[in-house]
Amino acid sequence: MLKRSWRKSEKGRKMQKTEYEKKEQDSLSNSFNNNVQNLRDIYKNCSDVVFRPFFIAGKGKAILVYIEGLANTEEIDDNVLSPLMQESTEYDDIKTLLKKRIAVSNVKELATFSDCVDQISIGNPVILIDGRATGFSLDLSKWEQRSVEEPSAEQVIRGPREGFIETLQVNSSMLRRKIRSPEFKMQAMEVGRYTKTKVIIAYMDGIVNKTLLEEVNNRLKRIDIDGVLESGIIEEFIEDNPYSPFPQLLTTERPDVAAANLLEGRVVIMVDGTPFVMIAPTTLYSFFQSNEDYYSRFLIASLIRWLRYFLVVMSLLLPSLYVAVLTFHQEMLPTTLIISVAASREQVPFPALVEALIMEITFEALREAGLRLPKQVGSAVSIVGALVIGESAVQAGIISAPMVIVVSFTGIASFTIPRYSAAIAIRMLRFPMIFLAGTLGLLGIMLGIITIIVHLCTLRSFGVPYLSPMAPMNASGMKDVLIRAPWWSLRTRPHFTGGYNRYRQPPDQKPGPKKGKEK
Amino acid sequence: MIEKSRISSFQMAIMMYPTILATAILLVPSITGKFAERDMWLSPILASSIGFLNVFLAVQLNKLYPKMTLIEYSEKIIGLIPGKILGFAYLFFYLQTNGIVFREYGEFVVGNFLSKTPMIVVIGSMALVCAFSVRGGAEVIARSAQIFVPLVVILLLFIFILLVPDLEPKNMFPIMDKGIMPSFMGSVVPASWFSEYTLIAFLLPFLHDRGKGLKWGFISVFTVMITMVVTNMSALFLFGSITDSFTYPVMSAARYIDVADFLQHLESIVMAIWVAGTFVKISVFYYALVLGTAQWLNMSDYRTLVLPLGFLLVIFSLWTAPNLIEMVHYLTTTWVFNALTMQVAIPILLLILGKIRRKRGTKVGSTRND
Repeated sequence: MLKRSWRKSEKGRKMQKTEYEKKEQDSLSNSFNNNVQNLRDIYKNCSDVVFRPFFIAGKGKAILVYIEGLANTEEIDDNVLSPLMQESTEYDDIKTLLKKRIAVSNVKELATFSDCVDQISIGNPVILIDGRATGFSLDLSKWEQRSVEEPSAEQVIRGPREGFIETLQVNSSMLRRKIRSPEFKMQAMEVGRYTKTKVIIAYMDGIVNKTLLEEVNNRLKRIDIDGVLESGIIEEFIEDNPYSPFPQLLTTERPDVAAANLLEGRVVIMVDGTPFVMIAPTTLYSFFQSNEDYYSRFLIASLIRWLRYFLVVMSLLLPSLYVAVLTFHQEMLPTTLIISVAASREQVPFPALVEALIMEITFEALREAGLRLPKQVGSAVSIVGALVIGESAVQAGIISAPMVIVVSFTGIASFTIPRYSAAIAIRMLRFPMIFLAGTLGLLGIMLGIITIIVHLCTLRSFGVPYLSPMAPMNASGMKDVLIRAPWWSLRTRPHFTGGYNRYRQPPDQKPGPKKGKEK
Repeated sequence: MIEKSRISSFQMAIMMYPTILATAILLVPSITGKFAERDMWLSPILASSIGFLNVFLAVQLNKLYPKMTLIEYSEKIIGLIPGKILGFAYLFFYLQTNGIVFREYGEFVVGNFLSKTPMIVVIGSMALVCAFSVRGGAEVIARSAQIFVPLVVILLLFIFILLVPDLEPKNMFPIMDKGIMPSFMGSVVPASWFSEYTLIAFLLPFLHDRGKGLKWGFISVFTVMITMVVTNMSALFLFGSITDSFTYPVMSAARYIDVADFLQHLESIVMAIWVAGTFVKISVFYYALVLGTAQWLNMSDYRTLVLPLGFLLVIFSLWTAPNLIEMVHYLTTTWVFNALTMQVAIPILLLILGKIRRKRGTKVGSTRND
């Protein structure tokens, strides 16, 4: 049904083509006036498109077309218009003229209107010349962009402080600056019928698995959509399991994270207009690893990693464990503790399940409000939250104090997850777990955990099992999951590169006083 | 082939560990204690011979018919109609056995923890979770086993270590006071548990490193044996001759744990983690049943059978026995013969017939599956 109606509307749309669609595939003709008229028709009612007619060397008719604000007008004046318009210029063949006079590094010859439009739309001015069936685009685009800043979502203490920005060229150059080898490849493609967003697939030739690369390419090519405004839109089209709560692509704002993943044989997908790049394939553990783990010394990094795993489990389970223990397994708590908890719950009219749900929803509301509000108002929200909900609700006897502690600890624990997308998944799963705990106690929690783990076992990210290297087990991979082994012993790349180019570095690089004397 | 995913023999070994042990650590120590008394720690060692035999039989049969499961090659070995009848008998056996496992699980949870929850809710929720994993196939069960088995092992170690202060090793003396017979008698029921290793006949065709199947099968049997010996020993050291008066000696032992007045009453946590082991056990049985049924009916996909058979399993679990006492009685008497016939005697016969068929050069089975 849906498909049919889509086809119908598609047909209806086709009947009244836009001016651009009519002329898109036409090639430029020899008639200058015709070409200019066609281009003017295409850009009808586009007030930002500038048509600047001029004479080359005072003789040949020509026109320069560009978009205001996207083209660098100063450079156009200095390097294009003034040398061409000089009366003294010898005008014989435009190609030699371009070679002799135009000081622009990148010049392309264009044959069709769609080529012209593509070039104009990315900001390159296009010159059409009388008597020629081709146009020329000059690489003189320039537009406003945000400067490179430290990404606010991924803060580190030790590590580079630069982050990706919205401009693709800047992003790819940041990666190139990190990996200088020509084996670092970047394939470009366009996605989005109207937005024509440039997407780059970056990988390391010789490390990446060829079938993975092909799979990424195929999945991206399959996308047919009107516009891509953020990498999230592409993410939803290329995921393995769209119904899973868990993210199957890692997103990052940091060039160093992207570079590290490239060196591990993963593919990085960069989308123009977003500071987030996507990394495929991913495993669950990479969401709980921060890039700083790899920069700080390995003992500390391993300990922090364990702390983080513990907090991940807590942020998923703590409220439900509290509910289960209070409802079904009071005997598990030491006597003094259960007495004080019972005393504080005396005034509370709700069962533990309802209490937990009220508090969790309030907390989520506070968090969401704090995120969306302007920064100045944001502090007001936290004051209201802390005072009204923390203090007054307990004093009024609506909520017990231990529940406030549990919920706030859960909140803190969930903030320690380095990747926001994974933190959201766990936030979401917390609620069904609370329900299970309220109905079946610890058994319910265990059934919930089993379901989640079975789901994770079925999940794949671009063909790679989501729980690897834990299940299926891979001993060398565990070195980077259970602990963060020291760099000199992290010899192998993750397993999914297909065993090919397995080793990062030769063995026996463990430092020691003797090693220094050898040389 | 009906199952597209592949597992490794290590994964098979790790799947089989809770498949034997999950229910074996509940009821079996008490049953063994009844027969073997002080020698109850010897019984699993004797019983494990059945496990080794079963692994050997399954691997040998798999060598004759490498890409087939028990249901498929029984048709090849004894002909289409008798093979279908035998296949049905096996499927019915697994339906009933898995029903019993469900019931053991349900009785344990309802009897010890959720006394007011209806049995059908406890069993039904587990059946749903297992159905979810069986739909994922052997690969998913194997991977979840890889996550849960370490947890179960850590849990058992944790119980044993915390029990150390209460243990009394003198309880095991004198060894073999009344000869070998009591421990031999005590090994019969664990042997019927070990005979469940026949299930690997449903997993062997999907191994990607089939050469290591025998080795890992033996390692798996061996670790199960060690665990059962340790379990029985700690029950014996803790309770002495009264072990058989507990229905669930290991659980009762966990209640004894009291460290610094803080680590106490851990039985709920023990139960929760034990549930993970039971989940693997039920899933493996459930998977064999679903896969076997699909092969028996010559279906191209087994996923459609998961929910209907799951429903049937829940019903069977309720039909199995009127109460726990009768079920334990059944498990110590009729079931032993049932299990050993289905899982030991018939595979031996199948292997002999298969070898004869192969020697005679009748290429009924061999041409089509090499």
